[in-house]
Amino acid sequence: MKPSKLERLLKNHRLLFGGLAALLLVFTSLFYLSQTERDLPASLVTNRVLLFVLWYINVILIVVIVFVLLRNLVKLLVERRHRTLGSTFKFKLVATYVGLSLIPVLALFFIATELLRGSIDRWFNTPLAPVLERGNAVAQAFYDRVEGTALRDAGFALREIEGIDLDQADERPRLTSRLQELLAELDLDVLAVYEGREFVRAVLDSQSGIPDLPEPGRDFLDEAVRNGKAVRMDVSSGPGRLVLAGVSNRGKTVIAGTLLDPRVAEQTDQLVRDFQAYRQLEVQKDDLRSSHVLLFLMVTLLILLGSSWVGLRLARRVTLPIQALAEGTRLISLGDLGHRVEVEADDELGVLVESFNRMTAELASNKEALERSSRDLVEANRLAAWNEAARRIAHEIKNPLTPIRLAAERMQVKNEQGDPGLGRTVEEGVEIIVREVVHLQKMVDEFSRYARMPRPSPMPVDLERLVVDTLNLYRDVKPGIELEARVESEAATAQLDAEQIRRALINLLDNAVEATEPPGRVEVAARRQADGGLEIRVADTGLGTPPESRDKLFLPYYSTKGRGTGLGLAIVHRIVTDHDGTIRVEDNEPHGTVFVLGLPNG
Amino acid sequence: MRTVLTLLGLLLFAAPARPGPAIHGLQAALDGNRVVASFALTDAFDGKLSRRIDSGLPTPIVYEIELHKDRKRWYDNRIDGTTLEVVAVHDAVARSYSVHFKLHGELVESRTVRDREALAAAMTRIEGMPVFTLGDDTPSGRLIVKVRARLGSRTLLSFIPASIDTDWKDSNKFRFRR
Repeated sequence: MKPSKLERLLKNHRLLFGGLAALLLVFTSLFYLSQTERDLPASLVTNRVLLFVLWYINVILIVVIVFVLLRNLVKLLVERRHRTLGSTFKFKLVATYVGLSLIPVLALFFIATELLRGSIDRWFNTPLAPVLERGNAVAQAFYDRVEGTALRDAGFALREIEGIDLDQADERPRLTSRLQELLAELDLDVLAVYEGREFVRAVLDSQSGIPDLPEPGRDFLDEAVRNGKAVRMDVSSGPGRLVLAGVSNRGKTVIAGTLLDPRVAEQTDQLVRDFQAYRQLEVQKDDLRSSHVLLFLMVTLLILLGSSWVGLRLARRVTLPIQALAEGTRLISLGDLGHRVEVEADDELGVLVESFNRMTAELASNKEALERSSRDLVEANRLAAWNEAARRIAHEIKNPLTPIRLAAERMQVKNEQGDPGLGRTVEEGVEIIVREVVHLQKMVDEFSRYARMPRPSPMPVDLERLVVDTLNLYRDVKPGIELEARVESEAATAQLDAEQIRRALINLLDNAVEATEPPGRVEVAARRQADGGLEIRVADTGLGTPPESRDKLFLPYYSTKGRGTGLGLAIVHRIVTDHDGTIRVEDNEPHGTVFVLGLPNG
Repeated sequence: MRTVLTLLGLLLFAAPARPGPAIHGLQAALDGNRVVASFALTDAFDGKLSRRIDSGLPTPIVYEIELHKDRKRWYDNRIDGTTLEVVAVHDAVARSYSVHFKLHGELVESRTVRDREALAAAMTRIEGMPVFTLGDDTPSGRLIVKVRARLGSRTLLSFIPASIDTDWKDSNKFRFRR
């Protein structure tokens, strides 16, 4: 089964498609790896990879469209320059298709893009934004207040224990006791004392649910010593959020810890996270817009590619049969009737191609029939000519026979009468008989020569020299007759049988010189025809040839002069025909005859 | 024609030079066989970058650092190159910013700061960062460090990606002898 065009297209471009797909896979994998290495959130990586894939496809599409359009544009321009048949039509069709799709598609693309931009901007201008912002502000204010309270309590506790010397071991129970009191008094969950980075004492509310004393960390303690205060939100301790506030003075740091209600902490955190999620979306607004624009662009480019492809395909479907038909017409005009147009077309053009092929077949058939008829006609003409020749031969033979018979009868009568003038009569009779027999002999020789004429052997001939030499034979034969040879340079050399052509020219010039009365002119001209064939014209300014005798001029033994053998023009005709040529008679202007010899292979 | 050229020239010169992010104070020195670089990035913290950081998305500033052999009468010869990626991640619940430093893809330092000023300083002021280790294959002679910052990307016409870079900045020249 023959593969479809799509299958062939896919097969031809399989390597290209495969290569592009493999490149997409490799680039996407590399891009994915580079993005995951940056510890980005999974959703962000997915969005970026999607953007990359869309961008890649669009770049490839742009490259393909530019390549296809430029390639075809160049081809069309070259075809137009070379005036290839159908190029203008193809150019117009493609331009129309691309133009018709380009304008609405681009308009649609820009409108859709603007609408999308507006829609995305409106998404971020909804009342939701200020709600989330206010929620975040409330949460931040709550955190500020909790941190402020913890800092205030830590400061208060620091001032309360300032009088206790931490280096004295016997002061430690007093410190612990005071810390316990402050823990209860300030409603704290943790209270700890550090000397620099060194832990001194800490108390913990056993009801708070905090499993162990939280570790503030060196950074926190350093920051508190350096700045006088430090605050941390610790999410790892216990059931809720632990706010740690440290206040430091002269190397002594008190850390106050307050555990937020888990439900309040969760709600507050959620408010903050929601606001942050919203801001992330807002930050990715450009990416979102880009992905949609790329998607629209991809569709736009696909439509453009499709329309230009369809335009080119349609143009090719129309112009290919036209080009094939034009080529077919050219070949047929050159004679190649066996040529057939082989183009796949299943519409009206297909009908046209079929009709053309049918017409060509009929032409070939008609030509064959015509040739057959022509051959038959030639045969019939030849038979008729031979009939005519036989009649004329009989006539020509009968003409001398009559005086012979009469001379013989006269001699017989004179002899029976015993006429004394018999001797004289015999002399006259013998003279007549001999003369007529000589004439008969001459006629038989000429006919024999005509019948034995060999096939021509064409060779390169200096035609100019041949014509001039032949004309020179007739110089001064008839005073007052001007002889002229005109051979164009393109016809100076020809492929002919020189002897036969010389003989044909002599026969024609014999007639021409004889038919022309002084003052007159006989001219032999030779030139090349447009198709490369040779044309020789022998013209005289004689009395001309009557139209009624032109059909018989070239028949053997036909003569308008009443003397001669009547084979001169028949021999010319035979020579020309043997050279695959033609001969015709025309009137010369203002009077006279022109014999035109057409020698296509000369 | 002359009028058009004059107008164009005026327009070009009249266009206000917009200050953009730039590398300043790039200093490079040898510490043993290590090249230590210090520099600052100015005008990088615009509203867009701040919004992105505050959204909680990891936000990098990538410093491309190259070591060149200084040549007086020809282009400098690049010997080595590396990247210093400074990534900030905001934790809105903990009310802190984590700043991670990755040299040549390897995490070399992480810090936590609590305010925007400290964050900007951490991301844009690089002090005494050992960026290259010179080996036997390092050519002797005058060396120079070049730095530029990549501040992310933007899109032209909503679909053509383009990165936002500073110009390359050259350090002082220093001599290395094997």
